Amino acid sequence: MAARKKVDHVCRKCHRVLDADKEACIICGDSSLSTDWQGYLIIIDPKRSEIAEKMNIDLPGRYALKVR
Amino acid sequence: MTEVDNHYYAIKTTSKQERAVADSIFRTIERRLLDIKVHSVIVPEELKGYVIVESPESHSRIQELVESIPSARSVVPGETSLEEVQHYLVPKPVVSGIEEGTIVELIAGPFKGEKAVVKRIDIGKEEITVELYESIVPIPITVRGDHVRVIERKGEE
Repeated sequence: MAARKKVDHVCRKCHRVLDADKEACIICGDSSLSTDWQGYLIIIDPKRSEIAEKMNIDLPGRYALKVR
Repeated sequence: MTEVDNHYYAIKTTSKQERAVADSIFRTIERRLLDIKVHSVIVPEELKGYVIVESPESHSRIQELVESIPSARSVVPGETSLEEVQHYLVPKPVVSGIEEGTIVELIAGPFKGEKAVVKRIDIGKEEITVELYESIVPIPITVRGDHVRVIERKGEE
């Protein structure tokens, strides 16, 4: 479980991966964070990425595919 | 939205370094250390030892990128398609493949190593309720779906 060793937090609302020291999501401001997540997706250019389009992501960044 | 023709390449990585490779690719592209365009990087949970990059570049350009990324080993020859990749974006519930009557081994928690029979499955919570095989009094225990390993499915010889 690589996801759990690195205690990066994930916002339950927008699935954005945050650094371990963050207490709230830097984008949506939600403080419901989880350390139990799986799957990793990095969007670099949301305007040209078909994956970002499919996932409805319009901001670049690191995202988790599944959050518990 | 998308005007460019995107290609999907699988990159072989050192075991358990999938996320590190994805982060390195992100840093390299973000800081413009190489003049290679990558639109996204996927690290599917089900596909160990590989990451998938979405890029408009040719195979040889991605090979060039891989050479500068630590723990990235090679680009798989050929390319894949969005159709083949998109199912990784919706991870399967961990309880899929488990049904009532399945014999499992608990792989985490206080009952680690014990065998049990599945009695109930909660797909929404991804939890299963099991009864330990060797206990005299049947006590139902609810555990996470990823804390068990399937030993024998119902109906298997």
